[in-house]
Amino acid sequence: MSPSPCEEFSKHLESWLEESHDPVMEAHVRSCARCNALVEDLGAIRATAFEWAYPEDEPSPSLWTSLRAQLEAEGLIHVQTTSWWDRLTSWVPSSSRPVLAGAYVAILVAVAFAISGPGESRLDRQLWLQSAENTSQPLQQDLDLAEQATVSTLPQSNSPVTASLQKNLAVVDNYIVLCEKSVRDDPQDEVAREYLFDAYQQKADLLAVMSERGDYEQ
Amino acid sequence: MSELQFFPANWTRKSSVVLASSVFILGVLPASAHTLEKHFKVGPQPVVTINNPDGKIVVRAWTKSEVMVVADHVADKAEVDAQQSGNRVDLMTHALSEPASPDDLKADLEISVPEDAELQIHNDAGEVNVLDVLGDMTVETIAAGVDVEDAAGYLTVKTVGGSFQCVRCAGRVEASSITGSFRFLDLRSYLVRAQTSKGDIFFTGEFLPNGDYKLKNYSGTIEVHFKPGDSFDLSATSVKGKVNNEAKLVPPDHPQHYMPKFGNALFGTFNAAGRARVELSSFDGTINILKQN
Repeated sequence: MSPSPCEEFSKHLESWLEESHDPVMEAHVRSCARCNALVEDLGAIRATAFEWAYPEDEPSPSLWTSLRAQLEAEGLIHVQTTSWWDRLTSWVPSSSRPVLAGAYVAILVAVAFAISGPGESRLDRQLWLQSAENTSQPLQQDLDLAEQATVSTLPQSNSPVTASLQKNLAVVDNYIVLCEKSVRDDPQDEVAREYLFDAYQQKADLLAVMSERGDYEQ
Repeated sequence: MSELQFFPANWTRKSSVVLASSVFILGVLPASAHTLEKHFKVGPQPVVTINNPDGKIVVRAWTKSEVMVVADHVADKAEVDAQQSGNRVDLMTHALSEPASPDDLKADLEISVPEDAELQIHNDAGEVNVLDVLGDMTVETIAAGVDVEDAAGYLTVKTVGGSFQCVRCAGRVEASSITGSFRFLDLRSYLVRAQTSKGDIFFTGEFLPNGDYKLKNYSGTIEVHFKPGDSFDLSATSVKGKVNNEAKLVPPDHPQHYMPKFGNALFGTFNAAGRARVELSSFDGTINILKQN
């Protein structure tokens, strides 16, 4: 069975965002509201992520590239077999919800934070801390904004479901605090960074569930 | 003249209590309980979707090429809608009037399906039980617990706080939760991915040759029981917790590329023949690798 136009488009998404536009896909995006909205959202996310990824006081991209190449050559870090884009698109929900765009951005930055930072003890600890703060602070702010927008849509209710959502949000927030502390204490701890990434991802997922439920009950 | 007898001769005080209780129970039962029963003829590998906000969902496999739905709900403000579209049957509980409270939308569903049916279940609260269904299934809940027995398809379970138990499951299993615990009992799956933040993970079953098992939590206990005949490569890491192991492991031939520098970690091979891959990781939980009795 041949894939649907939307499925076909998803295969071309990465090249699309690299400005390589297939005419057939262009026609589909013009006619499909869902894919059109997805392209617009991801374009905005990408632009925002680049703004965050390369602030003016950060080392230049070429410096990072050469550092990474050297570290890889020395076997000190390992090339990710899955691209950050694959990892992102594998969990982004199919709906493009403005209220959650912030959360997607947050995770995008978290992915970048998790896989692209300096990876070994030869690098200066202060650089690590600075890098972590540069990424986690706007990330946390953006998740907070998404949380405020989402929680405000939830109906006032004492139902077990609402209670469960709120309880779990508190649990995830607590994990984020603990993981951020672990990363601050030892910025080179890859496992702590991975758990922090998981916690951010869980929070975005949970906010998506809460948002859907808020819409459902209204 | 004999006395008038309103009660049978063997009437006792206990009988009076039972009668009074029955009258009371009937009095408090809602006057408007609704039951829906529908039957749908289907072909091979039908798809059944269920969207229910709250209640108990039981899905059983049977030998008929038919989907049978029995739905019970109490409130007048809700309706269970069951419709067929080709080889798909869609069940949805929805409000008939607004405002509707969560209790108004509560419905219990009993569904019989062909054993090769594919299931897509969404139930926020209550519980979900699936028995003997061999097709693929996706179950999403918020607070509802999920219990699956004797499944063979690709099973995906996502909960927020609900627990998940899988008994004698044989297909690929992927489970994720935030505070739900997982119990995998007598599992025969070749691939298991289970991740929960604040929950326990318990595993008994077979580690199949070339199988891949990844169990991960943030806090809580991960407990894995192995049999003497199992064969697997093991990686067990807890950043801040303990790793307790009863398996006699042979250290790996080559140093691990990703040997963690933090926490407690264990790597090695148990019985070299089949070599399933078992990866257990926790942040500050305890990992127990124990002999299965």
